[in-house]
Amino acid sequence: MKKISLKINGKEYNVEIEKDMRLLDLLRDQLHLTGTKEGCGEGECGACTVIMDGVTVNSCMVLAFQADGSEIITIEGLDKGDKLHPIQKAFLDEGAVQCGFCIPGMVLSAKALLDKKPSPSRKEIREGISGNLCRCTGYNKIVDAIDKASQYLKEEGEEK
Amino acid sequence: MKKRGIGYASTFYGTGYGNGFPDISRAIAELGKDGNVYIYVGATEVGQGAKTILSQIAAEALGIDFSKITFICEDTSITPDAGTAAASRQTYNTGNAIKLAAEELKREIMNVASEELNVNTTNIQEYLKKIADIKGDKVIRKDGIFTASTTEMDVETGQGNPYYPYTFSVYGVEVEVDTSTGIVEVLRAACGQDVGRAINPKLIEGQIDGGFSMGLGYAIMEDLNVENGKIKHDRFTSYLIPTALDMPDIDKIIVEDPESTGPYGAKGIGEPVLIAVAPAILNAIYNAVGVRMTEVPVTPEKLLKALREKERGA
Amino acid sequence: MKLEVVGQSVIRVDGLAKLRGKATYPQDLYMDNMLYGKTLRSIKPHANIRLNISKAEKMEGVIKILTYKDVPHNHYGVLFKDHEVFSSTKVRSIGDPLAFVVATSDKIATKALEEIEVFYEDLDAVFDPIEAMQDNAPKVHDKSNIVYKYQLRKGDVDKAFQQCDVIIEEEYKTSMVDHAFLQPEAGLAYQENETFVVCAATQYPHFDQLEIAEALEVPLEKVRVINPAVGGAFGGREDITMQIHLALATKLTGRPVKTIYSRQESFVAHSKRHPLIMKYKTGANKEGKLLAMEATIVGDTGAYASWAINILRKSGVHATGPYEIPNVKVDSYAVYTNNPFAGAMRGFGATQVPIAHEQQMDMLAEKLNINPIEFRLINCFRKGSTTATGQILEESIPLVECIEAVEKSLKQTTQGGV
Repeated sequence: MKKISLKINGKEYNVEIEKDMRLLDLLRDQLHLTGTKEGCGEGECGACTVIMDGVTVNSCMVLAFQADGSEIITIEGLDKGDKLHPIQKAFLDEGAVQCGFCIPGMVLSAKALLDKKPSPSRKEIREGISGNLCRCTGYNKIVDAIDKASQYLKEEGEEK
Repeated sequence: MKKRGIGYASTFYGTGYGNGFPDISRAIAELGKDGNVYIYVGATEVGQGAKTILSQIAAEALGIDFSKITFICEDTSITPDAGTAAASRQTYNTGNAIKLAAEELKREIMNVASEELNVNTTNIQEYLKKIADIKGDKVIRKDGIFTASTTEMDVETGQGNPYYPYTFSVYGVEVEVDTSTGIVEVLRAACGQDVGRAINPKLIEGQIDGGFSMGLGYAIMEDLNVENGKIKHDRFTSYLIPTALDMPDIDKIIVEDPESTGPYGAKGIGEPVLIAVAPAILNAIYNAVGVRMTEVPVTPEKLLKALREKERGA
Repeated sequence: MKLEVVGQSVIRVDGLAKLRGKATYPQDLYMDNMLYGKTLRSIKPHANIRLNISKAEKMEGVIKILTYKDVPHNHYGVLFKDHEVFSSTKVRSIGDPLAFVVATSDKIATKALEEIEVFYEDLDAVFDPIEAMQDNAPKVHDKSNIVYKYQLRKGDVDKAFQQCDVIIEEEYKTSMVDHAFLQPEAGLAYQENETFVVCAATQYPHFDQLEIAEALEVPLEKVRVINPAVGGAFGGREDITMQIHLALATKLTGRPVKTIYSRQESFVAHSKRHPLIMKYKTGANKEGKLLAMEATIVGDTGAYASWAINILRKSGVHATGPYEIPNVKVDSYAVYTNNPFAGAMRGFGATQVPIAHEQQMDMLAEKLNINPIEFRLINCFRKGSTTATGQILEESIPLVECIEAVEKSLKQTTQGGV
């Protein structure tokens, strides 16, 4: 057992973990943040994507102790109560969700992309989510949604 | 060298279990104590949008707002059997069952409005809560049952009416083949999809995109590579499915021609949107490079081999 | 009729929860005092088997190991009951479930799997469906490997081929593919008021309920299936995977039991798309009218029938494509082999045949020197057309409209998107 501390969605956690525990298991099994999904367990599908210190990682490929001292954003950290994050709102408006299993990871990859590049081209959007597999949507409405989210974020910025 | 080609494919698809097998959907519509309408039905939301589409049908039949509908499908102890979420049958079959249940519920609500409130109206929305209060614990529940039309085919000749209705789909694609690598890229695509009547156009578009992706994988990527009964490609590192980079944008053309037996004319589209994709791609490959690929998937290795054989032949 | 809600792109009702990470898939369920299950599966495609679980049973943390001996009724299946819940004396494909270890942790259950001794006595196996159709082929079940034959006869193909100006003959093959839904199978079962509650992602909860009740030999109302969020299905959640295992495990331990399949286990646990071998012969006259089509279709259903009958029937009925052909002969077979079992997958037999009939169409068009679009328009179903099974298409047949719309779209010179 090992003690680590980390910040998840703005909240400080001090947790005891087993040495071989993955970050994904810490989030899901120990902290019950089950919005992060496991689709393949080997970093291929992106369902377990979280943002760690500003960059996306596959949380199935990160050991929990490696997250000691880091700042993590999961899907649960995006909306503020009733107010959806603009990316979530864009996904809803564009009909980008079907079965939903890939969606948390997809939204976080979109966030990481838009944080870095506020006005991506469709090609850049496709590249930005190319590590996230989806079997239902054929990605096109997800690309539409990220395009729209880029607008929403700009409009929100102008309001402020 | 990069060569481009265009290909088309058209298909039909018969809805339902088929061949006379009893194909029955059951649904319950209930006016809840809170004045909302509850639909109970054992039809699974697998991601296709069943909850949304079937709620739209209920709202339409009742003539009330979509937001007044609560859809419950997750528990066998409170829902009636609506058959499986397959065979593109839920919108058509279960949609019909829900429509029947909702229409019955509306009639009963109108009766109560007439008898108890002295109101004669088909616009029931504003009376829902009042009527729910009047009924108290005796909530109004109505059943709807729909049985699909299907006949058993003759064993010797295969003649008969096995499925109903049929849904039609057409895809056209433009591909670019790199003759030095055998890699096929789909540059653009168009889909003409018969839907009977579109219940929710955006969800139909989502099905078309998803169907295209699965058909693209089938045409040029996916193979479990089974050897002596063992699946060799049993992970996403070897079993490759399309990513966002593999997908073209698609011109999605929804063609409406209402089917009189469908709920508001609607037909199922979940499977139809897939089946013409792969052959359209194969025809486009031929159009681009002049080789006929009779085995899927057309992996780069297979296509290169076929291109070399063609060169040798010529 | 004026429609208010139908025809509107209303926002999907399950979208919000899924976007907030609040939608509950079976793997997201946790209960107090919960046990963990792991499935031991066959690594041989065809063999007599014997198990020794005594060492694994004694491991600390192992609560129960289920084998066929624990199942009141050891058979299930969507059409034929040809699956065993756990293999009793022989395995018919790699991946057949042999045992289900129930332990206090996932780790212990995984470790215990390695401690179960499996004695395999290899049997001759058959992997090629054409070979499997021969009388002397190894038998996957104790009967002919030919599960089903659908035959379609319309007109006189032999006579009609003589009148054709062009004939194309070709053989097509499709691969075995997977649904690859993103959510691997998972489930949780528990007891409540003497009822066995099974939470799992399924396409048909009421059928699962029936299969669980039959296997456990309990009344239907003693089984309740809860179907939380389903992470894609595409036909791959038609056949049961762990539902009976979980129900039995909670019945025998009295505790909640959860299991989650890895991606690799998911690949071997559920059905596949039937690979088809399709021999086609199609003929037309020089005006471009299709006169005859003959097809022989063989579908490899692997070790279990699942929906093979309905699927190869659907292949046969859809073998012509959406075209009027006056003379048609189709023989469509479903065959057992020792491959992974095939079952329902989006399109259900009607996905494979267009690989053949649509390439036949293009080849005929080329030989006739007719544009492929025009060739399709000459032959395609319209209102009043008759299908090969003699079904008259009376309404909602907008195929011509679909063809013309797609042609128009692709002819536009501007390229859409990236």
